[in-house]
Amino acid sequence: MNERIQYLEELTREAVPRIFRELLSMEVQFEESAPLPDDPTGQIIGSVGFIGDATGIIYLYLSMDFARHITSVMLGIAESEVDGDEMVGDAIGELSNIVVGSVKSRLCDAGQPCTLTIPSVVRGRNLKVEAASNIQRKVIAFRNSHHHLLAELLLKN
Amino acid sequence: MSIKILTVDDSKTIRLIVARALKPFDCAVLEAENGVVGLAVASREKPDIIILDYTMPVMDGFEFLARLRSDPTLKATPVIMLTAEAGRDTVLRIAKLGVRDYLIKPFKGELLAERVGRIISLNPASSSPEKHKRFDDPISILVVDDKPAIAGQIKTALADTAWKVTSADQPGQALDRCIENAVDIVVASLSLPNDGAYLLFQNLRGFAKTATVPLLGLSVRTAAAEQARAQQTGFASVVTKPIDAAELKSKISRALRLDTLYKYFQQREGALSLRLPSEIHAEVAHEVSKNLESQLSAVVDAGGDKFIIDLNEVLTASIPVIETTASAMKASEKLSLRCAVVGTPELIVQCKVYEDTQSWVFANSYDEAMTLLK
Repeated sequence: MNERIQYLEELTREAVPRIFRELLSMEVQFEESAPLPDDPTGQIIGSVGFIGDATGIIYLYLSMDFARHITSVMLGIAESEVDGDEMVGDAIGELSNIVVGSVKSRLCDAGQPCTLTIPSVVRGRNLKVEAASNIQRKVIAFRNSHHHLLAELLLKN
Repeated sequence: MSIKILTVDDSKTIRLIVARALKPFDCAVLEAENGVVGLAVASREKPDIIILDYTMPVMDGFEFLARLRSDPTLKATPVIMLTAEAGRDTVLRIAKLGVRDYLIKPFKGELLAERVGRIISLNPASSSPEKHKRFDDPISILVVDDKPAIAGQIKTALADTAWKVTSADQPGQALDRCIENAVDIVVASLSLPNDGAYLLFQNLRGFAKTATVPLLGLSVRTAAAEQARAQQTGFASVVTKPIDAAELKSKISRALRLDTLYKYFQQREGALSLRLPSEIHAEVAHEVSKNLESQLSAVVDAGGDKFIIDLNEVLTASIPVIETTASAMKASEKLSLRCAVVGTPELIVQCKVYEDTQSWVFANSYDEAMTLLK
């Protein structure tokens, strides 16, 4: 069972920096551990699930500050032009969709066919996902300059 | 602009990225947020190409394609599919659907434009500078509000302009009006029943003729949530009630990118004059400061050496007046232009009181200022 979550971790560790580089021209590096991204502006979590031979969900945790920056880069606009949390939510939902879509493609190619759920986004303060039993969990930390990004992987046994 | 490109995607972010990628080309980009809306827009507008998302709620890309292919009038429309999934099975499935091309997200805007350009002929948008209307040109404004008094207030606020204000009390009526007549800008109440203003926005974006008509939202000052929603939807701006005539004019000017510079700047006899209005709102200060440097450089390039700041219309030496005038003086000093200020005797008296304005060189008229600077 551990091999499956390790494989998912490996796919996510490859996908996140690549997608940040290709989509946002931004470098993120893997790091051993990081605090839960949060700041006075709040926190945002984007998530997309996959269902099939491999069933699970990937959450991306970002501070609102970092999410706003990512949104501005994605849309090619100044941060001051990012209007409201909904625009940020849409961009982070799409980013999560691209990351998990990439991971899902590799899972399918590796003989674990599955389908994606639509993306969802949660905004707030001090948010944390609790996994139910019968679930394997892994947290991967990334860093871009002073920003942190956590990817939490949940995989059903 | 005869080429029509339809982007069908539930993500506004992706629709914006697609629209931005195609902006340099002579085409109209129509938007739909799901397959159902996409089919309706496609059957009405007959786009030259469709850029279609693979995973969407309501109706996904597969079902959309199947329905598109079963419609005799649309089945030949080329489709480029966008997908976040690059797996072999997905790619094979997409290929079997008969799409002309597909792109794996993330993709660069240039790549999308290149792929679109392989299928249909994309010409660069006109390289000649876009001709914008002037502030004093006639403009057609449609006010959409179920309270007739609001349209009356807007007419009154704009009575001193050459702009024509008409009104509609329902979004459906407004849409028909925009399709039938040339409407330059729509001002819609955000509190219309059943999200009428937002539906109107979506409907306008789905017609080639109205896809670029800007919308201003009307809202009470305290309704922050609906104002944020309007900005998110893509409204050009929000005008708050009670209506301030200067704010309304400024927001309409910005939404339509009207040429307003002639109101402030004028070049004659080797001098640049900057005329400030009686009240300086944030928008006026922004517009003046944004263009000041280029205007000053232009007069220097033309061999001029004088700068006259005309405060004849200004009644009070308010902080915005002082700040705008002082920054204009500073900018002219950098270019070694000689500067004088024209003002009424009342204003001159006020300026003598303040430390920041005591040293300003005043003249009573433009001609006197020119003589002073000789």
